[in-house]
Amino acid sequence: MAKEVVSTAKGLERLIEALRVLPGVGPRSAQRMAYYLLQHDRAGAERLGQALGAALQTVRHCAKCNNFTEDEVCALCRSPRRDPSLLCVVETPGDLAMVEQSLGYSGMYFVLMGRLSPLDGVGPRDIGLDRLLARATDGEVQEVILATNFTNEGEATAHYIAEMLRARNVKVSRIARGVPLGGELEYVDAGTISQALLDRRGL
Amino acid sequence: MSAARRRAELEPGFVLHSYPYKETSLIVEAFTLRVGRVGLLARGARRPRSALRGVLLSFHPLRLSWSASVELGTLLAAEWSGGRGALGGFALMCGFYLNELLLRLLPREDPHEALFDAYAASLERLASGEDEAAVLRAFERRLLAELGYAPLLERDAASGAPVDPGRRYAYELDRGPVPVAAAAGGELVVSGQTLLDVARDDYARPQTRDEARALMRTLIAQRLGGQPLHTRSVLRELQEL
Repeated sequence: MAKEVVSTAKGLERLIEALRVLPGVGPRSAQRMAYYLLQHDRAGAERLGQALGAALQTVRHCAKCNNFTEDEVCALCRSPRRDPSLLCVVETPGDLAMVEQSLGYSGMYFVLMGRLSPLDGVGPRDIGLDRLLARATDGEVQEVILATNFTNEGEATAHYIAEMLRARNVKVSRIARGVPLGGELEYVDAGTISQALLDRRGL
Repeated sequence: MSAARRRAELEPGFVLHSYPYKETSLIVEAFTLRVGRVGLLARGARRPRSALRGVLLSFHPLRLSWSASVELGTLLAAEWSGGRGALGGFALMCGFYLNELLLRLLPREDPHEALFDAYAASLERLASGEDEAAVLRAFERRLLAELGYAPLLERDAASGAPVDPGRRYAYELDRGPVPVAAAAGGELVVSGQTLLDVARDDYARPQTRDEARALMRTLIAQRLGGQPLHTRSVLRELQEL
């Protein structure tokens, strides 16, 4: 297919190009978004621009848990109601939000902001493993709970964190996996069942 | 629609790697028995309740069905085929390494049935806790042979004489082993015994393991045209921590 036709405005072109940084946004979607913002919702575009600028200025990583915050240390890490002896390691802020929603955990977190992905060249330096090590060995933490995903990448990440922490005499555990709560075997995928059988436990 | 629409039904295959595509889809690089490496678009595979989520994982034998008219096929179905223990720990990193070799060295839609079997067997051996180095070296040699670059191991490249286990050989990349003085050093100087061990996939001897590792690394690097392997650099970073 031929590329976009006549250039009418430099600013428009730059906007389209800029929108393409978003995941899953190709040239066509970027163009649609740009036209929409400039034609139908200029106030919204104004807000978007300001919010983006402000966020870049104020949002940073929490010194303790690495999650996004506007403070040096985020509210969760400062909360006196959290148990400082437990540290739960998750891949993304979305994972943290999900664990919080479960209401079953009251310890602290560390957000890796990624996972080891050897095939994409994502190594330990890209996911702040050194900062996690420092946090896990600060004397406060008694147990590190690895809640990375049950993908091959998440498993590799958990394995290497566990090795490093064990070498430093920190207690490490991994969240359990298997048939989901309320799950009926008939409707659970074969891979999960096969793994659940391997990971069975005595009663 | 072109006439060359290709379909595959329940083709044995493995996922080598996958990339997110748009909001909810996945592009899957698969290695299949009769078609070789294929790129498949798995629509909706990243939806929260997609049935493909627990299936499209690397290192597990699958049955894949797809249809293709252009380079990227469309995945129609993926089924779990045979449960084996998942790879864990260092064996998992070795699995990533095998996948990277296949992704980098195999062209798409170039079938290699024997290599497919060797790959499946290697994963089986890694999962059952066999010595990783022996599994990797045997697979590397197999891969080179399948690509048409089987290393010369049992004969002296200069004279054609059988390799003497007691001598030392300099391995010349485009020829093979050439005998050198016993004291000769250098990166690719290996013992005749190592060459014969590699030819039999026997990695019990420590010296064979060390020398074969260097030899295979150089032979693979030559095929990669000098581009480094991601898995190797990630492993090195991990060891430094």
